[in-house]
Amino acid sequence: MSEYTDNELIDLFRNADKKHYAFNLLVRKYQEKIYYFVRRMVIDHDDADDVVQNIFIKVWSNLDTFREDAKLFTWLYRIAVNESLSFLKSKRLRSYLSLSSPEALMIKSLQDDTYFDGPEIQKRLTGAIIRLPKKQQLVFNMRYYEELSYDEISEILGTSVGALKASYHFAAKKIEKFVTEV
Amino acid sequence: MKIKKDISKKTDHSENHFPFIESLKQENQGFRVPDGYFDSLSPRIVDEIKKQGNKSFIRILIPVVRKPVFWAPLAATSVIAILLLFAIPAEKVPAVQITDEWTELTMAYDASYAEEALLAESHAIDNELEVANIDFMESAPITGMNEPTDEEITKYLKEQEIDNDILIPN
Repeated sequence: MSEYTDNELIDLFRNADKKHYAFNLLVRKYQEKIYYFVRRMVIDHDDADDVVQNIFIKVWSNLDTFREDAKLFTWLYRIAVNESLSFLKSKRLRSYLSLSSPEALMIKSLQDDTYFDGPEIQKRLTGAIIRLPKKQQLVFNMRYYEELSYDEISEILGTSVGALKASYHFAAKKIEKFVTEV
Repeated sequence: MKIKKDISKKTDHSENHFPFIESLKQENQGFRVPDGYFDSLSPRIVDEIKKQGNKSFIRILIPVVRKPVFWAPLAATSVIAILLLFAIPAEKVPAVQITDEWTELTMAYDASYAEEALLAESHAIDNELEVANIDFMESAPITGMNEPTDEEITKYLKEQEIDNDILIPN
């Protein structure tokens, strides 16, 4: 299967006869990137699965109106950020009923997760990322794992590059401190 | 100002300042997915889109139905209709309605129907007689019934001691 460029996929999607085909290709092209990005934010696989489905349903509904002056993957990440933050917000509201904070619940979920097979140090690293403020968490994940440039992160989050660099710096410092403290 | 510059200097090379963190970098961070997850994701999303497409019509209706503008007139009309139903007495339907000869013959074999039919017939005869009586009274000449004879008049005048001559024309 030859890889289509983003613009070719969008053109294909706007052709009514090939809409489903184009959407299928688009999902296959970006599903892993989007899934792991969401999974790092919400931790639990089932939660990540729900959020990823919602993201691609939104893509299906809105791709017709997508403006081509923006990059498709930047747009996808922006939807992913919004959906992940909405999910975490609703989880925080639900957690008021229990005595634990959502972060504590996520760390507990990470400990019991059958779909996590990293070494202990990875669990500590993930636990440290969960404890970060959400904006720092997003910036750290995008830079450290997704290896996006600051310009790309700036386009996705609508924040200046300088602020992003500072955010990454403080996030990394907190994580290092947490992981090395035993 | 100086602090800002220091942070900017540090963050320009932020990745290089955390070699320990950099050394921990691992693809997917230890997260796994169930077998075949990514093969089934796209068809599941398409299924979900189809399901939502079917539900969208109901979703459009629900907000409309929830609005009082929609259901209040319906409720008011229903209440008025029920009140009218109880307030206006229903028109009496005759117990037995004989429509034609065949029905009449068939019903004659049924004792209860026959009884009711006889009753209806009896009422009809009474009505007819009553009408006939009224007609008779209206058509009967008043003179024929109440006018006294000459003898009766003479007798009456004698009793009243009135001169009989008034009756005799000149």
